[in-house]
Amino acid sequence: MLMKPFLDMQFGERIITLMAALVLVLQIAVVAQRWIVTHIRIFAIQSFLLAMIAATIAWFNHAPHIYVAAALTLVVKVILVPILFERLVVRMDIREEIKPIINVPLSVVISGGLTLLGYVVAESFYKPDEPGLGHNELAVAISLFLIGFFTMINRRKALTQVLALLSLENGLFLAAISLTYGMPLIVELGILFDVLVAAMVLGILVYRIRESFESMDVSLLRRLRG
Amino acid sequence: MTERILESVSQLLLLLALAPLVTGVIRTLKARLQTRRGPGILQPYRDLLKLFRKGMVIPETASWIFSAAPWIVFFSTILAGLMIPMVAADAPLGLFGGALAVIYLLGLGRFFLALSGLDTGGSFGGLGSSREMTISALAEPAMMLAIFTVAIGAGSTGLTEIAGAAIGQTWRFLAPAQMFAFAALAVVLIAETGRIPVDNPATHLELTMIHEAMILEYSGPYLALVEWAASIKQLVLMTLLINCFWPVGLQPTWFGFGALIGIVWLLAKLLLLSCAIVLLETVNAKMRLFRVPELLAVAFTLGSLALVSTFLF
Amino acid sequence: MLLIALLLIPISTAAASYFARRREEMERANLTGFGLTFLIAIALAAQVLAHGTVSLANGFFYADALSALVILLTALVALVCATYSIGYLRDDQESGELGEEVEEQIAQLRMYSTLTPLFVFSMMFVAVANNLGVMWAAIEATTLVSVFLVTFYGKVTSLEAAWKYAIIGGVGLSMALFGTLVTYYAGHRLAGSDALAGLNWSVLAQHAELLDKTSMRLAFVLILMGYGTKAGLAPMHTWKPDAYSEAPVPSAAILSSAMLNCALYGLIRFYILTSRSLGTEYPSHLLLLFGLLSMGISVPFILVQKNYRRLLAYHTIDHSGIMVTALGLGGPLGTLGLMLHMTFHTIAKSLLFLCAGNVRQHFKTDLFSEIKGSVIRVMPLTGVIFLMAMLAIIGTPPFSLFQSEFLIVRAAFDGGHLLTGVLFVLFGTGVFAGALLHVGGMILGPKGDMPVAPRRPWRDGSLLALVTVLVVIGFWVPAPLLELIRGAAKVVSGQ
Repeated sequence: MLMKPFLDMQFGERIITLMAALVLVLQIAVVAQRWIVTHIRIFAIQSFLLAMIAATIAWFNHAPHIYVAAALTLVVKVILVPILFERLVVRMDIREEIKPIINVPLSVVISGGLTLLGYVVAESFYKPDEPGLGHNELAVAISLFLIGFFTMINRRKALTQVLALLSLENGLFLAAISLTYGMPLIVELGILFDVLVAAMVLGILVYRIRESFESMDVSLLRRLRG
Repeated sequence: MTERILESVSQLLLLLALAPLVTGVIRTLKARLQTRRGPGILQPYRDLLKLFRKGMVIPETASWIFSAAPWIVFFSTILAGLMIPMVAADAPLGLFGGALAVIYLLGLGRFFLALSGLDTGGSFGGLGSSREMTISALAEPAMMLAIFTVAIGAGSTGLTEIAGAAIGQTWRFLAPAQMFAFAALAVVLIAETGRIPVDNPATHLELTMIHEAMILEYSGPYLALVEWAASIKQLVLMTLLINCFWPVGLQPTWFGFGALIGIVWLLAKLLLLSCAIVLLETVNAKMRLFRVPELLAVAFTLGSLALVSTFLF
Repeated sequence: MLLIALLLIPISTAAASYFARRREEMERANLTGFGLTFLIAIALAAQVLAHGTVSLANGFFYADALSALVILLTALVALVCATYSIGYLRDDQESGELGEEVEEQIAQLRMYSTLTPLFVFSMMFVAVANNLGVMWAAIEATTLVSVFLVTFYGKVTSLEAAWKYAIIGGVGLSMALFGTLVTYYAGHRLAGSDALAGLNWSVLAQHAELLDKTSMRLAFVLILMGYGTKAGLAPMHTWKPDAYSEAPVPSAAILSSAMLNCALYGLIRFYILTSRSLGTEYPSHLLLLFGLLSMGISVPFILVQKNYRRLLAYHTIDHSGIMVTALGLGGPLGTLGLMLHMTFHTIAKSLLFLCAGNVRQHFKTDLFSEIKGSVIRVMPLTGVIFLMAMLAIIGTPPFSLFQSEFLIVRAAFDGGHLLTGVLFVLFGTGVFAGALLHVGGMILGPKGDMPVAPRRPWRDGSLLALVTVLVVIGFWVPAPLLELIRGAAKVVSGQ
């Protein structure tokens, strides 16, 4: 009798919706705050929630190959990439983001607007007769994508831009899960491998930028024109 | 009719008695968390008694607002408190107003307090008033959006109906709209009651005070009234937050054995919320004033997302 | 079998170079590796011509005429650039660009000789991968590897260029991934689509009519913006001038020809799916828009350009625009023009970059104003070849690019796209004028104070080889090659 909730589809739906909503709140929290280390940790928590969402779907839909995707996400995005970046931050000794281009309260409101846009786009995908999670998760995924994009344009520290790029990938992962229960395993493998390598490559670049420019402010990168 | 009056009186007594206790518990918990002993849970009562017995000093430059404000604040806060469901789902004065009335009454109190801060002509008072108004200008829309979200779910702005609707479904709290509204209201709670990270209730440094600056000129019984009103407002907002989202233990009426169970549940939930507040205060530092709009913008966005998602989910 | 060899050889070359100790060993490893790759590419092309398609591992690896053409061109460019880079890097080593200590220099050389085969490996993977998701991963891999090639010289400006490249490329590829995902969603009602085959291009292409139409619309837009960023279409082109002017010249040559082809290859694969699913009108409108926009944007930047490597970069943007316009025009003429243009452009553009490398290494400057026209006297061979290649690439007859551009214009007017045709000619003229003005002014003129350049066997040899190919192809395309090109065009247009 205690197991009953764990087998009930509705309960699963609710838990997944809850986690997706948490992911969205965390993304808005990222826009609102200005500490790089916090950004990294929020990214780790978001990725953890996404891995849990994947695992929950795997449980309720009896699709074991999604467990692998969830485990890989856990290893790469929750453990490896955050550790890599935290080490980088310690080495470079930069803690805080400088003033963003659009001030924080306005960017938070814009992120809210982008979330609504995500909902509108997700509506067009929603077909009631289809299996799938319903349009909540897809809306959150598209919002994650759009807000990540916006953060990339708005922020000026190189490492923040890299983290925004990675949260774009997170949004795509969630979209993949909610639309089609994930892509074929080898594709997921390839994508995660790419994400890991991209994080390393970009980390190296960020480090070198810091060394050359004494700062991670990418608005200083303006010697090449025309 | 008599039932109503009896209910109102009971809730009134509960408000008056419980408010200082909540303040005392929060202070003591905070002290304990910081490995101090703290002043003791009953200290606010002793403070109030002491203040009522002391003499008053009123500045010469003050007008009638200065003398009227403490009474207006006190009574408006109590009136608001009578309109919220505390022990029973049925608020005593619930017929006279719902969520909007509560918000307006609290706003009335704040308005007069701000006026009294300006009234004496001192610079600290003006400083506190302007800061308080800035914060409330941003916090009120967020609060209203969150309340409207809950109201839409319940089909009415009457707090009785809201609490009643929430009792019916246990898993409803997990719906994203409710979660966003809860988060928004929690942030607004911090802002309106003047706790860290928005305002430090224990400071008297000019750079950092907001609420304290407004009431700096008050002394004696007036000060007692204002402080009491502040703790009652804190209790009101906390109870609002708890009972709109997690109305476990709300009884149908004030009478009978159930009332005691209701009071116990209320105390338990208040204790839980106080622990959360204390944790938040200890872990965070006070934000600089111009950063507060950022926090409130998050609350506003969450509130609007909550409202919109009731239509979309 | 050939497909596996095609992938294994570059990887082993990279490994061999990584573990080599001396410069000569690395040079030899690269040269043999790329030579072998080129031979295998020819063999693959022959097999494709004989059998139509070649596939392996249950359809995981797949090569048709389009893949074979792209592979052949990539292998050719890689071989020529490897030959050129021997001389180029030796010069850099002597002039101190690679660092003061021998250790540093060897480390830099090692990085170059390892990354370039890895780069080629990833490009080969793009062309042989059947699964669209794997193809995406390979294209992302090309970006990640080439980023370090852009930062090769370690200057502040190289870092800036590499950062722009990495970030803009990263965002573009995220959009492309989204598009791939939506394509998968569009096809997930097909039988057996839960398995790996659900994203296989060959499977999707066969059942393209069954794909969900609204999703394919969204997917195509995302893919166009995503892979278009990689190809350098406006308005996502801003990384190109910086990356091409900062990377070492042979890498820039590979970037501008082979990698451009790979990005276009990805776009073309999705175009085929979209056109079979939705009809050609919708994708063609979008393609014409971006193509003409790219052509148009490059004109002012070419006219006022001061730096000849950036001029070549804008030129590449112009040519991506041309090729995308050709794809948008479609039909037998348009697609044939596209494939011909791809072939000729690869040869001419890499040749141009190599000549530019010669000029740079001798004059040690990137600006037109400082060269003042003495190239023809100081470096006669390079000067002549540079001028010829420039004339070729802006479309002067009798060079081959004239033929392909003419075909495209004909396709435009035949198909009723009058505005496109007119704009094409207009922008082409603008680019013609600007490029000829600047480059001609740089090459032809009285001799300045620079001494005559010494002979450089490796570099001049590779230049000569490539220009011979260019000239010959202008007049006579060998029959197998022509058949391969036609085959590729057929794959795209479906006829």
